Amino acid sequence: MATLLFEIGCEELPGGFCAWAERELGERWLRHLSGNARTLVGPRRIAFVVTDFDAESGGELKRGPAETVAFDDGQPTKAAEGFARSAGVGVDDLVRQDGYVWAQTSPPPLPDRLWSIAAGLGSGKTMWWMRTGHDERIRFARPIRWLCAKLDGETLDVGPQEIPSSGVTFGHRFTAGEVEIPEADAYEASLAAAGVVVDAQARHDLIVEGLDALGSWSDPAHVLDEVVYLVESPVVLEGRFDERFRRVPEPVLVTAMQSHQRYFPLPGNRFAFVANGGDPGVVRAGNELVLEGRLDDAAFTFDRDLAVGIDGLAARLGAITFFAGAGSFAEKAERLVRLAGRLGGGDASAEAARLAKADQASELVREFPELEGVIGAEYARLAGYPEAVCAAIEEQYLPDSATGPLPRTEAGKVLAAADRIDTLTVSFELGHKPTGSRDPYGLRRAAIGLCRLATEGGLRIERSLLPGEAEPYVEERFESLLDAPVEALRAAVRSPVADLGSVAALAVFLAGLDDAELEPAHTAYTRAQRIAGKAEPGAVDPGLLAEPAERELAEAVERAEARIASAVAERRFDDALAGTAALAPVVDRFFDDVLVMAEDRAVRANRLRLLLAVRDAIGMLGDLSQIPH
Amino acid sequence: MPGTYQDTIAALQGYWADYGCVIMQPYHTELAAGTMNPATFLRSLGPRPWKTAYVEPVIRPLDGRYGENPYRFQHYFQYQVILKPAPADVLDLYFSSLAALGIDLERHDIRLVEDDWEQPTLGAWGLGWEVWCDGMEITQWTYFQQLGGLDLDLIPAEITYGLERLAMFIQGKRNAFELEWAPGITFGDVYRENERQWSIYNFEEAPVDVLGRRFAEHEQECRQLIERGLPLPAYDQVLKCSHLFNLLDARGALSVTERAAYIGRVRTLTRRVAQLYLESAAPAADEAA
Repeated sequence: MATLLFEIGCEELPGGFCAWAERELGERWLRHLSGNARTLVGPRRIAFVVTDFDAESGGELKRGPAETVAFDDGQPTKAAEGFARSAGVGVDDLVRQDGYVWAQTSPPPLPDRLWSIAAGLGSGKTMWWMRTGHDERIRFARPIRWLCAKLDGETLDVGPQEIPSSGVTFGHRFTAGEVEIPEADAYEASLAAAGVVVDAQARHDLIVEGLDALGSWSDPAHVLDEVVYLVESPVVLEGRFDERFRRVPEPVLVTAMQSHQRYFPLPGNRFAFVANGGDPGVVRAGNELVLEGRLDDAAFTFDRDLAVGIDGLAARLGAITFFAGAGSFAEKAERLVRLAGRLGGGDASAEAARLAKADQASELVREFPELEGVIGAEYARLAGYPEAVCAAIEEQYLPDSATGPLPRTEAGKVLAAADRIDTLTVSFELGHKPTGSRDPYGLRRAAIGLCRLATEGGLRIERSLLPGEAEPYVEERFESLLDAPVEALRAAVRSPVADLGSVAALAVFLAGLDDAELEPAHTAYTRAQRIAGKAEPGAVDPGLLAEPAERELAEAVERAEARIASAVAERRFDDALAGTAALAPVVDRFFDDVLVMAEDRAVRANRLRLLLAVRDAIGMLGDLSQIPH
Repeated sequence: MPGTYQDTIAALQGYWADYGCVIMQPYHTELAAGTMNPATFLRSLGPRPWKTAYVEPVIRPLDGRYGENPYRFQHYFQYQVILKPAPADVLDLYFSSLAALGIDLERHDIRLVEDDWEQPTLGAWGLGWEVWCDGMEITQWTYFQQLGGLDLDLIPAEITYGLERLAMFIQGKRNAFELEWAPGITFGDVYRENERQWSIYNFEEAPVDVLGRRFAEHEQECRQLIERGLPLPAYDQVLKCSHLFNLLDARGALSVTERAAYIGRVRTLTRRVAQLYLESAAPAADEAA
């Protein structure tokens, strides 16, 4: 058994690619190599070492012709010879089993197998940088500059001749040069001596250890995973910025540190960062200078915004387009104020709606778009607005996914719902309906957010607030959010319940009923619908009711209607179902005793209208015919 | 380390001239990036090798701050290097240029951080990095893959040094206006008033109607020049259109859809010019081969 090393030496690879390649190697490529494989991935190298490697394995058992065809009187036929040749074995090596002949082929040459792994990793976002002799363009995330392959002490020549392949690798870019790898299993130690920690997990642990030593660090933007692949020689250092920057809102400080510089905020005016070598004093001073420059810039921008103030910013919204055809942000703000009122919001939500988009006019949001809302809230606080108003401004973009947190305040929920209703309404009016994968205005996310505000958030959102196609589009989103089959949702959507939350609650209720519970209402509903579904609706005329069974039904429907309506409105669906069930035997008797299709046209029309009333009374629980029964 | 801003530029000129680059001069019309200089954009097309280096003043009206913000300017300088095709040791060449500026590569933390480049108005993209020196971004690095919507025959490396950032790093300054340009003269002495007046022009005075009209005129002229088979003057018209678009944008005169429409118009012209340049340059390339 041997140890195999293969290293693809690259110019600095993106962190995301490194993480992907590490997974891809493990899941897809190394499983086909016998032995124990370890991946060693960093910014300048994608490598793996396989111990207990069996260089002979990796061939396959090929099936050839049937034994009766391959051998004639114990002598190999032309067919057997041809098969043996194509499989690269001698005729004598053919094995007879299960009525066929078989050949155990040798694996392809090891260098070819290794290069095919390198080539296989060249997918996703790739570039080309050179041509091989066959005018082939090699693609990879960044240029491959060397290959290093060893089978124990033997150096393998891998890949096209234009890429140097040898037993040599390279250490830290600036403090070490070429590194000769004597044996495959000396790889990790040889590189360690040249200033490179090749194991990503080891780098991760070193970094975390260094951060822990500096105190309670944070990483809200999750930059650690990327930083692990940005360095080969991690050194965790601490820096400080001037106290005067602490007046800048904290989210701005954190974003400046994390999204631009990949720093880790520490309490107070301290931060941690990970260097890839250098003189710690020099590197620290340089990074402090850079961060202070960024903070100076942010503070400068912040001061300019403050000089205008949140009300001044709001006054500038008339000049900013919300999106083409949908007017300005000022017009959007006016619509939000009206919507907040219609959603039952109080003074705080109306005030928050007026100021919600003010930060779109701020310079700081132009710099840090991911902080929209957060910055507006900060400016509102500095202007002395009540906390309920500020919190609502801050929470207006929540939830931002199917699982993200909801606004915590009532005014925040109202504003969040108003914002989504407006975006959906405007987009649908302009014909921007999302199609398949194209959803440039984020309407799917807006609709899902609205559904969650109605269900988990408990906010009453009238269905009538969503005009035209917007309403069915939003309600369809419940399909992915509710634990209910789509038929139950389709039934509930067709009920006359007035608000989104009731649609969801009704769908869940219907989905939870077993056949026996649903049976009476379902049968009465579908019978009435089948016979009277196409009739002219109208009021039932009591004077035309002749038979006792139909008089009885008319009275029962009238009683049931009131009971079902109030029960449904209060989401007491059990009680509503009991009301419909009470109707069922009366409906049965009606069908037994009364001929709906009477000779007299007036009587017939009246009986059809009575059945429509039955259908509509039960139909307050939804279009039950949608549910298979 | 070389002291002044002009020392830094002179050191880069010397380094890349010694390597064998043609030292070009800045282009004669407004550009938003050294990439748009025909010495980069057009010469990167086609099969002919090309090495050049030059200072490019870049004009980005939207980035002006009236000379009040020491990090934002509507006019600043890039040092642009094109090596086509990129040699295998291109990164080492670049790092040596930093050493030539007096930067001790072992004492500093120099990093290449993924940065993919895309320029819709040029129909162009490439992959590369930001180069960080102790956290300061001092260079943009790109391997072009497509320009003017065309796949490239040879892959050039584009090295764009941000001269102010680099000089701030070298001089240990936090404020670009305090950079020493020449002994006793600062960057602010030379350019602060320029920033103030041009910011007023870009944001307040530039005549929107006239700009829109000029755009249409240059666009029309570009089409005529393409008809006449003159890609070089046609390309200047593209540059003028691009700058007028940037001015209109700074004036806040464009809605989102209008913006997209203008970008589309510039891109269409760029593609046609690039195509024509390649066709008309082909015989010369054959001679060279």
